[in-house]
Amino acid sequence: MKYELVAGFETHIELATKTKIFCSCTTEFGGDPNTHCCPVCIGLPGTLPKLNRKVVDYAIMAGLATNCEIARVSKMDRKNYCYPDLPKAYQISQFDKPLCEHGYVELSTGKKIRLARIHIEEDAGKLIHKKGDTYVDYNRGGVPLIEIVSEPDIRSIDEAKEYVEKLQQVMRYIGISDCKMQEGSMRCDVNISVRPVGSDTFGTRTEIKNMNSITNIAKAMEYEFERQCDLLESGGKVIQETLRYDDATGETSSMRGKEDAHDYRYFRDPDLVTILLTDEEIEAVKNSLPELPTEKAKRYVEEFAITDKDAQNLTKYRRISEYFDKASEGLKNPKTVANFMIGQIFSRLATEADKEIFDIKTTPEQLRELVKLIEDGKIKNNLAKTTLDKMLESGKGAMDFISEDDMGGVDEGALTEFCKAAIEANPNAVADYKGGKEKALMALLGNVMKQSRGKADAAQVTAKLKELIG
Amino acid sequence: MITKEDIENIALLSKLFVPEEELDALREDMQGIIDFADTINNADIEGVEFDNIAGLSNQFREDVVVESLSVEEILKNAPDQAQDHFLVRKRA
Repeated sequence: MKYELVAGFETHIELATKTKIFCSCTTEFGGDPNTHCCPVCIGLPGTLPKLNRKVVDYAIMAGLATNCEIARVSKMDRKNYCYPDLPKAYQISQFDKPLCEHGYVELSTGKKIRLARIHIEEDAGKLIHKKGDTYVDYNRGGVPLIEIVSEPDIRSIDEAKEYVEKLQQVMRYIGISDCKMQEGSMRCDVNISVRPVGSDTFGTRTEIKNMNSITNIAKAMEYEFERQCDLLESGGKVIQETLRYDDATGETSSMRGKEDAHDYRYFRDPDLVTILLTDEEIEAVKNSLPELPTEKAKRYVEEFAITDKDAQNLTKYRRISEYFDKASEGLKNPKTVANFMIGQIFSRLATEADKEIFDIKTTPEQLRELVKLIEDGKIKNNLAKTTLDKMLESGKGAMDFISEDDMGGVDEGALTEFCKAAIEANPNAVADYKGGKEKALMALLGNVMKQSRGKADAAQVTAKLKELIG
Repeated sequence: MITKEDIENIALLSKLFVPEEELDALREDMQGIIDFADTINNADIEGVEFDNIAGLSNQFREDVVVESLSVEEILKNAPDQAQDHFLVRKRA
């Protein structure tokens, strides 16, 4: 039988606030154990938590950026469970009145992955297990999180990957989190089940935790999909359980011997008052949002005739798109800027991290000046290219490398002379070209370019060379 | 109606060990408590705000860091500690 994968995500994202959700301790990553703590975040009796306004604003931003409805009335609840990572034996979270509901993330295929909700809650402390003993560090305890819960709309591993990438991209764009999976500021749990293709009921699901990269999410899902299919094929049954993904073996394994029935006994936290939001407040947050990557990419394609692929590349990270926006300001053809960025500039940025940081010596204004020279017909593309290389090396402006003499084209007579000289100097290339090697012409073209100091027009030179060689 | 299973489940969640022979007596006690709570449930509360934080909303903090306590102070009340951590020892 052919099976179909059905998956949904629960994604925790640490918010980039300066302080914790209910107290004024720093949220800084690292630090010596238990040095970012106070009576509130270690849960001492008699302390009073007070909600960080920024957490509410950031969660609203996340909701608006993912097309959610924002609740006008919201509240905090206690989720009870007894484990040393929670000093109070409950986590302050949101149960039946989350801040955001009914949103979606749109994939490149146009498919919408629906979001059930986004709520705010506190992170737990860090546990270090050594020889059966547990060492507890509460620095992370009380760091604000949003939990984004999707509907089980994902049907393939590619969709899962894109969903996580899109979330990561949009949350970074709006600046509410750095979403570093390796450091744990973005954590995904995936609920996964299988069903015969064509069926419209859901199979029994398992939940996989502990995946710290998109690659691992894909691997874990692949493994779990196969495991569940094999189980059903051999007449077995999938048990609803929580699984841990082991990076080293590439396998999933049960986290608990016996699945204890979750009973979190949620109830309202009586220490925390109702959150009421007005239309004006929500509107103000909406207005503070930057243009989102999906809209930006659409605009680049529609207004600048940039290809969809290039538009995706230019909008992948906020800094790149901001650089592009600035560099192409007031230009007739922003596409030229796009080509320089994706070609010459991207080739200097080896890793994704480099692209994201986008630390280059040339300012967007300098790139704009260079492209303006082409648009005004003052220099040719070739000269612009070599100049851009020099600019990127030095951080200097275009005019530091281009003299008055370089500007303007090459007249017909000079062009013919350059071509003749090139043909004379490269008999081998000419012979190769005559023998059918189209590429041999490049050597001649290069020679002409050198003679003209990049001023000649490549198309004109090629035509002239062909004419002369015959 | 409180069952023996309810008592077992509550004991589990409360991390309490309840010997089999005490289950019945506890069940009866618990039933009494629930029945008492039911009389409260039956009270006429039409139009009465009984939430202890009723009427209050939007008590927020600004996102400004205040210095945390020292690790010594944080661990002062810890039942057990080691290497600047709270310590939960392996159960014997």
